[in-house]
Amino acid sequence: MNIILISILSVGGLAAIFAVFLSIAHQKLKVEEDPRVEQVIGELPGVNCGACGFASCRAMAEEVVGGNISVGTCSAGGNDTVQKIAEILGVESEVSEKELAFLQCGAVSGERKKKASYVGIESCQAADIAMGGELACDYGCLGYGDCQTACPFDAILIKEGLPQIDVARCTGCGNCVEACPRDLISLQVLDGEVHYRVVCSSSDKGKKARLTCERACIACNICVKVCPFDACEMKDNLAVIDQRNCQRCGVCAQRCPTQAIRETES
Amino acid sequence: MKFILLFLSAALVNNFVLRYFLGICPFLGVTGRVESAVAMGLATTFVMTITSILIWLINHFILVQFNLPFLQYVVAILVIASLVQLIEMFIRKASPALYRSLGIYLPLITTNCAIFFVALLIPLRGYSFIESIVFGFGAGLGFTLVMLVMAGIREQLDFADVPEPLQGAAITLITAGLLALAFMGFTGLITV
Repeated sequence: MNIILISILSVGGLAAIFAVFLSIAHQKLKVEEDPRVEQVIGELPGVNCGACGFASCRAMAEEVVGGNISVGTCSAGGNDTVQKIAEILGVESEVSEKELAFLQCGAVSGERKKKASYVGIESCQAADIAMGGELACDYGCLGYGDCQTACPFDAILIKEGLPQIDVARCTGCGNCVEACPRDLISLQVLDGEVHYRVVCSSSDKGKKARLTCERACIACNICVKVCPFDACEMKDNLAVIDQRNCQRCGVCAQRCPTQAIRETES
Repeated sequence: MKFILLFLSAALVNNFVLRYFLGICPFLGVTGRVESAVAMGLATTFVMTITSILIWLINHFILVQFNLPFLQYVVAILVIASLVQLIEMFIRKASPALYRSLGIYLPLITTNCAIFFVALLIPLRGYSFIESIVFGFGAGLGFTLVMLVMAGIREQLDFADVPEPLQGAAITLITAGLLALAFMGFTGLITV
């Protein structure tokens, strides 16, 4: 009993001495900080996603308050955040275009063929190094969810082996773009309109593409032929839709034999 | 003479980073630039030296007196954490730029195992008061030296033609390994 009491008293006493000393030091060494920094931090998403190019939300807030960068730097927070920061700092806000993550592969587990069985680490990064793991397609989504892990906003969920991007939650921070070893995710402008996009990245020739995946672009050139606006183009055995020329008629999506062109929200 | 030998032993022969593999986190994390590496080394040296003094005092006057050796770990954590708080406040006040460049590694001095090692080794080896200070200070300066050397090499590496597969972390680890090999040359020079 005695030893417990002595232990508590001695360590507690030491802690109290240190605490008093630290609080004195805190008063002496206090740093005057702009109160607006805290306010700006309050408006930021606070997940330190790094999309702005700074290490943390705090680092970015300090720069914004210091006037070194534009108030619209936080792309993850969206226009609401930008507006609130602009109010705090008393400046005009600029409205930027909202960009969201878009996955350029549309084949779920059953549709993409396997070439082997993979028993390694359950990560896209690892599987990609190990000759693409079990996936026959050299370009497609591996489905182990590195993007899901990388997403700080829980906007990505793997369903049937394919990441589903929740448009409402995605902020366009771009962490998933970095995480995907096959560069399948890109940021695309969301303007509320329907877009037609190629959801395949395979540059394999038609026959091989057809053998590896049911949803692959087989470079059949049908979209190029049917498009009334010359928006479709064939590059490296892969259809590419020029969004500037596309008038969203949707003929390409209807005629695509493998459904590699689809209507998307972003 | 005894103190000089102890100092050299702690700083060079039994260098914490390259011989005991302690404090690897800042060793690899903050050695990108010489300036921040030296600052980190000096901050660690400060914490180590003061830790040695406080640990010796607490150990001698409290833990030994009341026969409480099992409290060494708790007290070590208490002392180190408080000192890091202090130095964090000081650096933030003195140099905000340095504060930012050290970033997360500054509060992480708390969990730097090299400092914890000093705090545990002093009671274990039964050093006297002066010896403790010399040991802590020497270990800290040895740490700073290694940080400086590593940062210098890494700054040069930025301009070197490193083969692609070895770029980044790989060449850093190889450099650390070669540096450790070089420091092995001090082995047996002093046996303290």
